[in-house]
Amino acid sequence: MGISMKAVGGVLAAALAVSLTACGSGNGGDSASSPGASAPSASGTAAPAPKDRVKLEYWHTYSDQEEKVLTEKIKPAFEAAYPNIELQLTRMPYEGLKQQVIAGVAGDAAPDLMRMDIVWVPEFASQGALAKLSDFEGFDEVKANVFDGPLATNLFNGEYYGVPVNTNTKVAIYNKKTLAEAGLAEAPKTMDELVKAAETLKGKGKFGLGVSGVNAWGLAPWFWSLGGQITNADYTKADGYLNSPESVKALETIVSWNQKGLIIPTMLGGEPGTWDGLKSGEYLMTDDGPWFYSILMNEKDAKFDPMAETMRGLMPAGAGGSRSVIGGEDLVVFANSKHPKEAWTFAQWMMTEEPQKMMAEVGLIPSNKAAAEAMKSMDIPFVGEFVQQLETALPRTPIPQWGEMEGIFNLSFEKAIRGEKQPKEALDEAVKQIDALLK
Amino acid sequence: MSPSKSRFAVGLRQWMAVLPYIALGLIGTAVFVLYPMIKNVLISFQNFSIMPNATNAWVGFDNYAKVFEDPNGKFWIALRNTFLNVVATVPVNWFLAILFAVLINAKFVKYKIVFRTIYYLPIVTSWIIIALLFKYLFADGDGGFVNYILHQKLGLLPKAISWRSNYWSAMVMIWLFHIWKTVGWGVVIYLAALQGVPKDLYEAADIDGANAGQRFWRITIPLLKPISVFVLINLVNGAFGFFPQVYFITKGGPMDQTQVIPSLIYTQAFEHLKFGPAAAMGFMMGIMVFLLTYSQMAKIGKQRMF
Repeated sequence: MGISMKAVGGVLAAALAVSLTACGSGNGGDSASSPGASAPSASGTAAPAPKDRVKLEYWHTYSDQEEKVLTEKIKPAFEAAYPNIELQLTRMPYEGLKQQVIAGVAGDAAPDLMRMDIVWVPEFASQGALAKLSDFEGFDEVKANVFDGPLATNLFNGEYYGVPVNTNTKVAIYNKKTLAEAGLAEAPKTMDELVKAAETLKGKGKFGLGVSGVNAWGLAPWFWSLGGQITNADYTKADGYLNSPESVKALETIVSWNQKGLIIPTMLGGEPGTWDGLKSGEYLMTDDGPWFYSILMNEKDAKFDPMAETMRGLMPAGAGGSRSVIGGEDLVVFANSKHPKEAWTFAQWMMTEEPQKMMAEVGLIPSNKAAAEAMKSMDIPFVGEFVQQLETALPRTPIPQWGEMEGIFNLSFEKAIRGEKQPKEALDEAVKQIDALLK
Repeated sequence: MSPSKSRFAVGLRQWMAVLPYIALGLIGTAVFVLYPMIKNVLISFQNFSIMPNATNAWVGFDNYAKVFEDPNGKFWIALRNTFLNVVATVPVNWFLAILFAVLINAKFVKYKIVFRTIYYLPIVTSWIIIALLFKYLFADGDGGFVNYILHQKLGLLPKAISWRSNYWSAMVMIWLFHIWKTVGWGVVIYLAALQGVPKDLYEAADIDGANAGQRFWRITIPLLKPISVFVLINLVNGAFGFFPQVYFITKGGPMDQTQVIPSLIYTQAFEHLKFGPAAAMGFMMGIMVFLLTYSQMAKIGKQRMF
């Protein structure tokens, strides 16, 4: 017994000693490497010889055809314009991406540039992970050329931490056959029309209201169109907005739809998914982004022809008008980038009209005003409704606390929809928690 | 003085002799177990930022307070589920393990190795693959295999269940997933243990006219008691450590109702960047598991069964 105890003590002591030295050397290595690494970049900017090109690591989540444009058009065009910079493109899987970015930032292995979901920017900016772009030369010029809505998603503490590389929104997409079954020839303009169609379809075992999930991206277009609100205009207060009579009524309407069995089972995690249900005609409609077309149209040997078999319409208007939610991606430069200047050079260039038009060809809506104007005449078959919907689309609350705030939002809505709480009660509770976050 | 010094010298010499063989293991433990453990405890008292060179302010017990102040009581839900998981899976897992082991060990069963391999296969298969398989089996509507059998064919269910969308059905699915994945471990342990049960006891029982059930309950179970204790402790620890079971099946949903502490820690840290509260939960869970295991060990140590 005595021997084994001593052995355990010895092991622990040795292990502790090793762990202490390991962590000590880790810190030492870190501080030693940063000045060493900044030296070559300084010399690189001084003499931009093509020989020692600056390599920019760029993470993105472009889809197959978008990536093709990126590697075959964007990269050569940029490198021709700036021979001293080389883009190193890495396509990241969307699944688990946030965790990879966190690990990259914490381990000082983040890329120089990233095209990231707009809702992450304030959150990562608040962690100090992103470079402040409004400090760079030429930012005001970029700012003047892009739409305000997408640009606002880069704000944190009154400064900009990214530039909007493309924007998007969702519109209502209908299965034409099912629409005819509901007795309609064209997309419903109002919520009342749509609900009536859904009631007709219910008798035929089909679903009419395509709310895609109990989360802000899925619910917000419906909630806003029905007259609901989340916060005040400057995102500092939810009391009197998320629990206003209009908001309560909007949620009550959604709850009553669900009780009547009008909403697709996908909303509460059931099957089939929105795309499968829409393709088979079991679902009348859902709201989704332009990728519904760009992905399905590029599917090889697909039996389903999205252009021929579906119809697009603006979100049906309710008490709040026809509202959808702004999505899209921002281009950010990481604070730990070894080449922030070159990274900003690329971001600046990417926001100009030409590259924006290149990406527009595959259905990505430009945030550059001139490119968006040019897109209208580019003959992209499905894009019109999306651009039109953007005029009334709203952003999800662009603040660092959004990730957590959305959790509260989702939970209160799910509780009400599942009938565990009265809508008013659920929203009051959410307001209390959200306002505590906003303080 | 001198005897103790020589004992020290002997000890040192012995250590130096074995050190080359265990050094790699020690370093591995230090880097991958001890350092993260210590770091976790430190983070739980800090306002932690993910930036590599950030100065993380010390905030005392703020993170712990935050865990308990959560208005949705997620920590309590996770804690409750953790205990439910133990209560629901450990007895079933244990009984199935010993039952299958005895069956495989029976005289009339041929190709024992085949059965042993089949039962062990889920253990070496990746969690994610089995999770996908279970999601497929438990798909919603009558298109899901389980719903099809239980509702459409046998009529045991009044209607097709949305397994992952409701609390209890999701929990049942998580438990079945866990049991199916891990029962083979107990089977293999018990199969080995059964080889040590003297045959003459069964022969004597046969002469006394005992039937198969009596032999199982009166001979096999009592003689395997020390092994059973070992298996049970490990099963309890396994049930405490649920993570893939929950994360791959429900991600904690519906409404965070099926969260367990590890999956909650992951969500808080890597979705919401709340590393402080997540570390606090991790530390509390660590203490809990330590106390539980320690008390079990102490109790068993006194019984002198080994």
